[in-house]
Amino acid sequence: MKRLFICLLVFAVNYTQAQITKVTIQASGLTCSMCSNSINKALKSLEFVDKVDANIKNSSFDISFKPNEAVDFDKLKKKVEGAGFFVANFTATIRFDNVKILNDSSVNVGANTFHFLNVKQQILNGDKTIRLLDKGFLSTKEYKKNTNLIKADSYKTGLQNGNRVFHVTI
Amino acid sequence: MKKLILIIIVLSVRILNAQELFVFTEPASNMATGSAGVRLNNSFMKDIYTHKINYHLIPELMFGVSKKLMIHTDAFLSTRSDNKLILEGGSVYAKYRYFSIDDVHSHFRMAAFGRYSFNSSDIHQESIDLNAHNSGYEVGTILTKLLNKVAVSGSVSFLHALDNGNNNEYFYGNKQRDAVNYTLSFGKLLLPKEYTNYKQLNLNAMVELLGQTNIGSGKGYLDIAPSLQVIINSVARIDVGGRIQLSSKLYRTAPEGFFVRLEYNFFNLFKK
Repeated sequence: MKRLFICLLVFAVNYTQAQITKVTIQASGLTCSMCSNSINKALKSLEFVDKVDANIKNSSFDISFKPNEAVDFDKLKKKVEGAGFFVANFTATIRFDNVKILNDSSVNVGANTFHFLNVKQQILNGDKTIRLLDKGFLSTKEYKKNTNLIKADSYKTGLQNGNRVFHVTI
Repeated sequence: MKKLILIIIVLSVRILNAQELFVFTEPASNMATGSAGVRLNNSFMKDIYTHKINYHLIPELMFGVSKKLMIHTDAFLSTRSDNKLILEGGSVYAKYRYFSIDDVHSHFRMAAFGRYSFNSSDIHQESIDLNAHNSGYEVGTILTKLLNKVAVSGSVSFLHALDNGNNNEYFYGNKQRDAVNYTLSFGKLLLPKEYTNYKQLNLNAMVELLGQTNIGSGKGYLDIAPSLQVIINSVARIDVGGRIQLSSKLYRTAPEGFFVRLEYNFFNLFKK
């Protein structure tokens, strides 16, 4: 009984630590509504996506997710590229619960590993929006500029000890 | 002639919003991966010599194979050689986007394309047309630029005419089998003034210049093709256009006429 309770507690802590409540993607390379719709429909085809709220004028998409489903940032990016466009800006709103972050260091948040850049040491609580800086999650121009500033090898490979790492800032 | 082209260019550059879903040409962009489109292309071309209206029906299927590659397949039916609709041939077209610089609301893209057409009708004109008249192949490149919300697209391609089926030999001589096609397209979004949802009706106006120069004879033609396009629910398209000959030194039987296209797109038809 005690064990079960501990298991449940651990599960609950992990779960609240990692809840991704929203992702906002701004796509580049399009102006027309049919192009925007092709991204809209592609994003909706992902099994973990619940709702896509598109702003055609700004080429941006607010995405919400089904509860208890793992959100895969790479799959979201691939859907935008598959529709023939690129991601210009990618932010994720995450419900943090007592997560300590340090500049230029990695932390596991739920199923994802985030490497925080350009941040002050702090403890994250509640809904915070992070911006992804990895290749394909921002304009090519900005990524190239960042490669000169960010020295970590993982920024070029997207991998840390063989595992996927996302470089993020607040 | 030169003045007219210049006026068109100047007018088009002044356009605030533009679309690149051109009616008579293809842009360097492709359709979404795993998506398919169906087109019913209808041409009503007036024969200069017989005054008959030739009806060409071209059903077309389009597939988004990957983010960079798309394929079109066409069937050619027409009433040109008989009073009833006859299946005369078909074609396969592939387009590969090999370069892309995208920014929010702008892009510059380049694509390479290839086409193989088969046609069994009689050879009846000097100009080479792989869209429903000649057997042959074509390879070319497309450049599409969207800058300050203005889209301009151009293409250059090399084409080679083969003998048509049913022993219909290309009889203008081997030197005249090769030609260069060039196109220049402009588009403008007229409606809506501001996008709010996918249900809004889109109205686009396009002007396209379509030219051919035969490598063997040095003779060519230049057409202008204005068109209007309606996009419904961001999935269906109705294109209505006309093709007008500006100049020609090549023998052509029915260069001018009307064009109506119905298109419907199926997004995510193939899961990837």
